Formats: sequence, C-alpha cells, structure tokens
Amino acid sequence: MTTITAYTSHHSPEKGLMRWIKTTNHKDIGSLYLWFAFIMLLIGGAMAMVIRMELFQPGMQLINPQFFNQMTTMHGLIMVFGAIMPAFVGLGNWLIPMMIGAPDMALPRMNNWSFWILPFAGGILLSTFFMEGGAPAFGWTFYAPLSTTFAPDSTDFFIFAVHLLGFSSIMGAINIIATVVNMRALEMKLMDMPLFVWTWLITSFLLIGAMPVLAGAVTMMLTDRNFGTAFFDAAGGGDPVMFQHIFWFFGHPEVYIMILPAFGVISHVIPTFARKPLFGYSSMVYATASIAFLSYIVWAHHMFLTGMPVAGELYFMYATMLIAVPTGVKVFNWISTMWRGSMTFETPMLWAVSFVFLFTIGGFSGVMVGIAPADIQYHDTYFVVAHFHYVLVTGALWSIIAATFYWLPKWTGKMYNETLAKVHFWWAVISVNVLFFPQHFLGLAGMPRRIPDYSLQFADFNMISSIGGFAFGTSFILFTYIVIDCIRNGKPADARPWEGAKGLEWTLEPKAQYHSFNKPPTRELIKQESQNS
Amino acid sequence: MNEREYYVPSATYWPIIGSIGVTTLFVGFANQMHGASWGASIMALGFSILVFMMFGWFGQVVNESTSGMYNTQVDRSFRWGMSWFIFSEVMFFAVFFGVLFYARQLSVPWLGGSGNNHFTPDLWNGFSSTWQQIAFSTPGLILQSGTVISVPRQLVDAWGLPALNTALLLLSGVTLTFAHHTLRNGDRNKIIGWLVATIVLGVLFLGFQITEYGHAYHDGLKLTSGIYGSTFYMLTGFHGFHVTVGVIMLTVILYRVQKGHFSADSHFGFEGVAWYWHFVDVVWLGLFIFVYWL
Amino acid sequence: MTQIIIIIIIIAILIALSIGLLGMLKGGKAGSNKMFKSLVIRVALSLSLFIIVMFSAYMDWIEPNVIMMDAFSFQ
Repeated sequence: MTTITAYTSHHSPEKGLMRWIKTTNHKDIGSLYLWFAFIMLLIGGAMAMVIRMELFQPGMQLINPQFFNQMTTMHGLIMVFGAIMPAFVGLGNWLIPMMIGAPDMALPRMNNWSFWILPFAGGILLSTFFMEGGAPAFGWTFYAPLSTTFAPDSTDFFIFAVHLLGFSSIMGAINIIATVVNMRALEMKLMDMPLFVWTWLITSFLLIGAMPVLAGAVTMMLTDRNFGTAFFDAAGGGDPVMFQHIFWFFGHPEVYIMILPAFGVISHVIPTFARKPLFGYSSMVYATASIAFLSYIVWAHHMFLTGMPVAGELYFMYATMLIAVPTGVKVFNWISTMWRGSMTFETPMLWAVSFVFLFTIGGFSGVMVGIAPADIQYHDTYFVVAHFHYVLVTGALWSIIAATFYWLPKWTGKMYNETLAKVHFWWAVISVNVLFFPQHFLGLAGMPRRIPDYSLQFADFNMISSIGGFAFGTSFILFTYIVIDCIRNGKPADARPWEGAKGLEWTLEPKAQYHSFNKPPTRELIKQESQNS
Repeated sequence: MNEREYYVPSATYWPIIGSIGVTTLFVGFANQMHGASWGASIMALGFSILVFMMFGWFGQVVNESTSGMYNTQVDRSFRWGMSWFIFSEVMFFAVFFGVLFYARQLSVPWLGGSGNNHFTPDLWNGFSSTWQQIAFSTPGLILQSGTVISVPRQLVDAWGLPALNTALLLLSGVTLTFAHHTLRNGDRNKIIGWLVATIVLGVLFLGFQITEYGHAYHDGLKLTSGIYGSTFYMLTGFHGFHVTVGVIMLTVILYRVQKGHFSADSHFGFEGVAWYWHFVDVVWLGLFIFVYWL
Repeated sequence: MTQIIIIIIIIAILIALSIGLLGMLKGGKAGSNKMFKSLVIRVALSLSLFIIVMFSAYMDWIEPNVIMMDAFSFQ
C-alpha cells in the first residue's frame, strides 16, 4: 500500500497568513492563483470600463489620448498575463492531481514559487501607472519602435515584469509536465487521462516553447532601449519587422495556451450534463496535439500587412486555414456528445453550451481574418477586436467560469445558489453579445482599433457596445456574490453533485481532502471513471 | 525512504525570499538605467538575497536527499524538471540565433535592395549590404535611440582567441566525460581530478573571453556597432553568463563529490550539471561556426 | 559542400545531445548508459567538427567572417 510519508503528516495547514506564503499544497496554491486571477480580472475589467466610457460617444470625453492608450495596453497585458493564464494554472493546480490520482504536484516547492512571483510581477506592472510618463501605451503587442524609441521610461519596468511572468509560466508548465508524467496513478494509461489533463499537458509544451522566445524579445527591447543595440533599428542593420516575427512566434502559441485548457474544461462539462460519454475521446486528444503543433507554424498571419513576399502570405494563409480542421473536429465532437443525450441545463452546462456557440462565432471570424486578401480590410479594425474577444472572453473566460461552477462543490464542499447563478449567466451572455457583436459591424465599416475618438457614423454601434460593456462589467459583482455566498453559506454538496459526472475527483470527499489521494486508485476505479469508454 | 510512499515536501519560505530578491534586483536595475544613483546598490542587495535563497533552498534539497528522504519518484520528477528547464534555455538561445540568421540572410540584404529591385538606396558612401560590412557604417551615424554607432577598425579574428577558446571548451567536454566515466565506475579519487580540470578549463575560457572582449572593445566593436555588434555581444554574452553558471554548478558538484553524495548508480545532480555543461559547450560550437565562420 | 558537411555534423551533434537528454530523463541503469554513450558520441563529433573547420579554413575552402576595414575603399 502506498501512503504519504510520515514526514509530511505534521504539516497540515498552518494558521494565518504564513499558511498561504509557505504552502506547498496544490489546493492552497490553486486557490491563490484563482483569487489572484480574479482580482486581476477586476482590475483589467475596470480599465475596459474606462475604454468603453471614452468610446460611449464620439469626441474626446473623459480622458486624454495618451491615457486611453495606456488603458488599452494595460487592459490587454493584465487580462492575458494576469487573469486568463493564472486562472488556468490555478485550475490545473487544483484539478490535475485529483484527476490523475496523485496526492499533490510533482514539484510542490517550485509550485509555490511560480505563484509567488506573480503578485510581484503584477505589482511592478501596475506601478508603471504612477511613474513619470505614465504606463506603457504601445498596445499589448509592444511593437518596436513604439516600445523602444517612442516609449515612456516605465517600459523598462514593464520588460522586467514580463520576464518575471514568463519565468513563472515556465516553472508552472514544467511542474505540470512532471506531475502528469510522474505522479499519475500507476494503473492510469495515457489514454485514460481526462481531457483537461491532456489539454494542460499539451499546453505546457506550448508554454515551454513560447515563453523563452518572449523573454528573448523583451531582452532585445531592453538592450535596444538602454545599451544602444540595433536589433530593431534599420539604421544599424536591424529590422523592426523582425520584432513582429519574434513576438508572434511567441504570440500565436500563446493564443492556444489560453484556449486549449478551455477545450479541456468544456470536454468535461458537456458529457456530464448530456449524460453520455464524450464522443470521440481519442480524436479530441489528437486534435489538441495537432492544434498545438500548427500553432507554431502560422505566426505571420498576424503580419499580412507588413509587406511579406506573396509566397509567405499564401503559406501562412493556408496553414492558418488548416487549424480550422482540428478545431472543427472538437466542435463536432461536443455537438455529437450532446446529440440524443438526456440533457439538463444546470449553470455549468449553460456556460459550456454558450461556449460552443460563441466560441464558434469567434472561430469563424478567425478564419475570415486568416484570409490574406480579406485581412487587408479587417487588419487593425474593430473586427479584429470583436474576433479575439469572442475567442478570449466567450471562449477562455467562459470556460473558466463554467469550470468554477462545475468544480466549486468539490473545492468548497458546498453548493452555490443555482437560481442566482442562472440569472448571472443570462445577464452575462446577453450583455457580452451586446458588447462585442456590434464591433464586427464597426470593424467592417472601417473603425480602427486603439483609437479614443471616431467619426460620427460609428456613434450608434459604439454606444450600444458601451451599454453592453457596462452591463457585462456589473455582472461580475453578482458573480463575486455567488461565489462568496457559496463558500460561506452554501448548502452541503454531495461527493458527486452532478449525476452524470465522471472522473476520479468525484470519488473524493465532498470537500476534497488536503492531500487528494493517499493511495493510488485501483485499475477498476480508473476504468470506471475514465472518459475514454 | 520507502519506494511505495509518496513524498510531499514540507512548507517553505524560500520561494517568497526568491521573489523578493529577484524583484529587488530588477527594480534596482531599472532605476539604475534611468540614472538613479542608488540603483546599483539595490541591485547588489537583490542579487545577494537571490544567492542566499539559492544556497538555502538547494542546501535544503541536498540535505533531504542525502538523508534518504527521496525515492525514485522524486528523482524522476527532478529529472523531468531539469530536462524541460534546459529545453526552455534551448528556446531562449534559439531566439538569438534566429535573430542572427534573420539579420544576415534577410534584413541586411534588404537594406541593399535585394528582393525589391527598384529600391537600392545608397545608405552611405561605399555601402554594400554584406554581413561583414554592416558593422562598418559611416562614423557619426545615429540610431533611432540616439546612440551614435561605434565603428570598429576590425572584427574579431576567428583564428586567434576564438579558436583557442573553442579548443579549451571542447577539451572541457572531454575531461567532463572522463569524470562521468570514473564516477560511473565508482572511482572517487580520479573523478575529482577530472572535475577540477573541467572547472579550470571553464575558468580559462572565461578569462580568454574577457580578454577578447577587451580587444574587440579596444578596436571599436561595441554593443553599439549596429546589428553585427548587437548579435555578437548578445550571443557571446549570454553564452558567457551560462558558462559562469556552469562553472559555479560544477564547483558545487565537486564539493558534493568530496562529501560523497554520489554513488555509481545514483548521481542525478552530477548528470544534470554534466548535461548542462555539454549543452553550453554545443551552444559555443554553434556560435563559433555561425558567428565566426559560415 | 564543406558548409553542408559542417551543418550536417552540427545537426548530428544536436541529435546526440538530445538523446543524452532522453537518457537522463529515463534515469536508472539503462538511462544512465544511454546518456553516457550519446554524450561520448557528441564529444567525438564536436572534436571532429572543430578539426574539419580548422582544416577547411587552412585549405581556404571556407572564409572567416573577418574583414579589415582597409579592405573597403570608402571614406
């Protein structure tokens, strides 16, 4: 029999603040990640509110253009690096050990460090607002020479913040790989693994491949700014377009880093509430791997307007189209899972179904912007803004919220208020479409992104979009209330609160114990709880 | 420790110390670059905190390892962790090699009008868009950042110190392999000799590298010598930094060998550092060939 | 031709190095042997590559990236 070594028995949670600072427990660290991500989501969301307020009417309303640019830049950076990515690492921390029958992560001390770098990095990033010249204002893609020659002094702090965030992500990814490979219950074969574990494993490889590239890019920015190198300066033989190549070689895998774990979450929620096994388990795994591979060879579709050779444009266009195939496989699998299922629509399922619907809209507009000749019209317009908000908000964020409601009973041992949660869902799903759908029209009509003022013909759609934005923003007050209410006053939940749920995590106690599995689950149990059947 | 037990380490405060250290280091560095007089001392403070953290953290792990708390599962986790950490380093170096190739094969020829025949600017008198010559721009040319480009009198000669340094580093790979061999045969006295030889070769390499920097700098080849100087110093600089780290790690391994921490069958600490050294070695070989020759 | 040979050897070195990494990843007796053998191969290949480069340079098959400023007639 396998047990946790006696060495650890005396370190059940400490009391007070030190518990959270010194913890090596995957559940504590997962909670820290999730709360950090949520706070960052609110900060980034507040910036989005400022943006929508300024765009409520044409003309300069509330803030000056420089501050508007700081808002769009920091909104993007904080949402990508502060909210979505840490939220998924938090989910991974909480769920992966429970799903693979392990007591904890493989490298728990490093796990602690990968979280505890984040508040410092976030602090450095936010502190740039209070510096002379203000926060970075060159857009979240920080293209040279905007970020080198024409950037405020605070850019160097931003660079170090990105270094730290990258460091944290790489350590998190290494930890997840080591955990999945090495801590998995001996009797669990690779093709028994739940899809959330699969998608996170593949995402980890994307992180380890992409984050060092970002670190290299910002390092060259740093030397170009301060030590007179000429990497991104044509006067010295460098090339600003080279920055875009390097950035998007990181940036495109990064997009899939933010969406692959979302696919994993949805692949858990839909089978549960359709009460059917997941349709096409192995095709899901292969599709995920194909998307990950393709994500490394399509980066220049972000750069169709930089004057690439036509052969390059064609190659990147066709390679981009290719990604639609494995993604389509996934969407069809989710729909086939629901086909003739005995479906019920509890809150997680509502979020998951709307994910499939709305993410597909974002996916289709992605195919549109991937077509090189058409992209000449879409490039740098609100159409692009609408596109990536459909995949990141109603895709990535939707799956995080679905996961929160789906696993909240396992995290807290308590049930959330179903009625309020449904109210919250309809509030959010309607307002988010009011917010982002008109932006498609704005973009097609030619409204550029990252602009604080616009011509009069864009006024109506911008006002509609802003109203949707304010409604969507306030929906998170209700979300906060539902989660805190669940933690404090929720009714006790069953160990398996969802009738059709499969997975090792549901075999644990209603509120999962501090160390998930003291002994590895048996082969029979793994088979019985496997998604692949 | 029993093979059938899970090992879960105790709570730790080293990570938070590390975070404070690295944040102090970076904040000091950023302020230093913007002319704060106290920047350097804050940097030094942050660096000391980091060193303190590494000694403490790694020391704790070594102690736990030698007192037999770890089993093969923990050993395997470390192996996977180290391997994928090194892979991230490979990707980091890949960026700078990518920049070298991009600048040499694409952006510099483009400056000369290649691929765009009706745009062949005469950037300065005598300009030809070859890789070697890009460093020899007109004196007084100013970059967008306001930096005046430094024009070297000559580029680094591949036959001199670089060739010697390559030989030294390759030789250190050989001595390290002998050390590895003797360790696997359990011959502790010989391994110390080979390890010392490896460390000495590494230090010699660093010494010659500094000398070479001195020569290059004296000849006017600086970070500010356009894309040639930028890629040259970035690649060799980051490589030199990794050699320094490698020498420190080898020294720690030497100390641990003397303490008898490794056996012929179980010596992951040695293997991890050895592979790291081989990796640094290969990066130099790539540097030597692509920067100096091809 | 010389350049192609040099690049092929570099790729071979990288492969040997990666196999060594896989051996380290595997651990145990078998992994340790695999790691050691492939690292020996990588050292041998590196030394031969160095000799080949030096020899080709001596024979003037390849030229170093070094040019004296006097070689250019500008200014």
